[in-house]
Amino acid sequence: MKSTEIVTQKKISGIIGKILSYFVFITWTLITILPLFWMTYSSLKSNEELTRNIYAFPHDLFDNYNDEYIVIPPQLNVIPDYDPDVDKRERLIIESTSIAPTRRLMVYFLVKEDLPVRIANLKVGETLVISELPSKMRLKISWSTMWFNYTSAFVRGGLGLKFINSIIYSSVSTFAIVILGLMMSFALSKMQFKKISKVIMALIGLGYLISINSVIIPLFLMLSSVHLTDTHLGIILVYTAFGFPLAVMLATQFMKGLPNSLVESAYIDGASVFKTFLSIILPMSTPVIITISIMSALGIWNEFLLVLVLASSEFTKSLPVGVFSFSSLTSTQLGWQLAALVIATAPAMLVYFLFNKRLTMGVVGGAIKG
Amino acid sequence: MNKRDRRQLLIFFAMVGPGLLIYLFIVAYPVIYSVWLSFTDFNPNRGGGSSWSFVGFLQYKTMLEDPNFWHAFNNNMFVVFVSVFGQIPIGFILAYILYRRMVKAQHFFQAMIFLPQFLSTIVIGIMWKRAFSADGPVSRIIQLVTGDPTAQFDLMLYADTVMIPIGFALIWMYTGFFMIIFLANLQKMNTNMIEAAKIDGATEPQIFFRVIVPLLSGTILVSTVLAIAGSLRGFDLIFAMTTQGLQRNNAMVLPIFMYQTAFQDYSNQMRFAFGSAISNAIVFISILLIMLSNFIGKKLNAGEEG
Repeated sequence: MKSTEIVTQKKISGIIGKILSYFVFITWTLITILPLFWMTYSSLKSNEELTRNIYAFPHDLFDNYNDEYIVIPPQLNVIPDYDPDVDKRERLIIESTSIAPTRRLMVYFLVKEDLPVRIANLKVGETLVISELPSKMRLKISWSTMWFNYTSAFVRGGLGLKFINSIIYSSVSTFAIVILGLMMSFALSKMQFKKISKVIMALIGLGYLISINSVIIPLFLMLSSVHLTDTHLGIILVYTAFGFPLAVMLATQFMKGLPNSLVESAYIDGASVFKTFLSIILPMSTPVIITISIMSALGIWNEFLLVLVLASSEFTKSLPVGVFSFSSLTSTQLGWQLAALVIATAPAMLVYFLFNKRLTMGVVGGAIKG
Repeated sequence: MNKRDRRQLLIFFAMVGPGLLIYLFIVAYPVIYSVWLSFTDFNPNRGGGSSWSFVGFLQYKTMLEDPNFWHAFNNNMFVVFVSVFGQIPIGFILAYILYRRMVKAQHFFQAMIFLPQFLSTIVIGIMWKRAFSADGPVSRIIQLVTGDPTAQFDLMLYADTVMIPIGFALIWMYTGFFMIIFLANLQKMNTNMIEAAKIDGATEPQIFFRVIVPLLSGTILVSTVLAIAGSLRGFDLIFAMTTQGLQRNNAMVLPIFMYQTAFQDYSNQMRFAFGSAISNAIVFISILLIMLSNFIGKKLNAGEEG
């Protein structure tokens, strides 16, 4: 009697514990995911939709077959998407009456000779529906309406160039971190000079305590005295240097685990140190190279303050700085801002979900030793 | 040293050299530069003669007398408090639930909660700024729940309350990191102790507080150190969540104070020297807090054993 009572009691408390656990996890997961989900689907909504109902799913930009357009006169604030000096054909300028109406943001230039006579002769102020247009034009307008926020973010926010810059910074710095970092790690873990190695390791270990943020002022002064601010080289050098502590620590840990006999037998076969490094150590270190690369590349992709301080021209700015200044402009529509946010996070999310296990391992390895 | 050793040493430096030189110039040298700078009145635009002279502790004295510094300091202590007493306990509890396999689909939950760690802090900051804006999604939820169509989420607008939504965003962003750290250490833990406690008839809460927490005290300490260092130098999230001007000044933390002094306050002739003093103070405060938490950790451990 008594023992069954204890068993049922245990069962009940077990069930309560389970329910509580699921409740905690589901709540926390929803809190994490829902804002990102909202951001992503809202980036496909027009500004008018966002003001009307901030939670509704995107509709207006997709269901655009019967969108009404109004013919507008050529004005200075209507920027043509063709070169008027080269292309002299007459155009009909139309603007959407439902998406950003009268703001001259959703404007198309239709070549009059490709249009049916009735539409080509429309006067300023008269309207047409895009389903009346020839199918090629209709599809083009329909397609660019769907991606209105994204094309606007790329074109008006100049995010294309910044996207390329971000890729350059992440890839070049990561490459340098991996090559130079592994060379250091090899010498520190597999060569004989133990005392010097210890001193160098300690020095690099101290780098863990220092972030770019804490030395940004001297960095700025130093780089400006050698005219490296606002250059790709200067920014890449800083990212490379600050990537070393994590890379060297993870790689030396890994290489210490490789048997010494590997290196020794290569020496006996007459291979030089550098040859041994290139043809034996480097291929064997692939797992740790992948971990280092992903962690460094993601860190650099998301870094903000360095580029904010060093880059003064549009030519060197990276994506986070571009997205930040784009979203600070009052003229930027909310939908465009959200599209810019998605452009900056989507690549990071993709890498995260592809390499989730390695990233987790890398973070744990880096944090415990650091 | 014979000829062969000398050759080896040369090769050693050929391997270490390029990376080490970059590292010394770009990471190590600025640290010394920053300390030096904070004891001068360095002004790059001063005409004639040298651009600096030693002023002793003048910059630090000005800093301590500046009410902005103390305002930023208080806000920063709030951030430290949120991460040490918010992110770490929640992360611990989440990790513990995963460790005891009390939920299925462990990898899915783990991956989702860890995700924000790898997203751009700036993007997340802008996202929360939108979410918390007066006509944003959070206001809409409040309107739906209270049934009052004029209700607004206005905590971001007042100096007294601006840090609350920021604290929430900080917990949202970094809890997953601590969950992963705790989970990894829980999995490395020797399970014999738990088994023994179970045989002795210990209940679930007893196992948690009497066995697991003491076993993980080292990890808790490391996490505390990481949380303190991280929250004292955190810049991006609060910078992106606030609008330049009054709102950012309300939510000012030390790194933002440093940035605004050095790179935006052009009326201050000694802005770089003053800014360096602030960033050295940040490093100094984090070392102090880390030493304090080490001290408390040791005291608690001693108490447990005694």
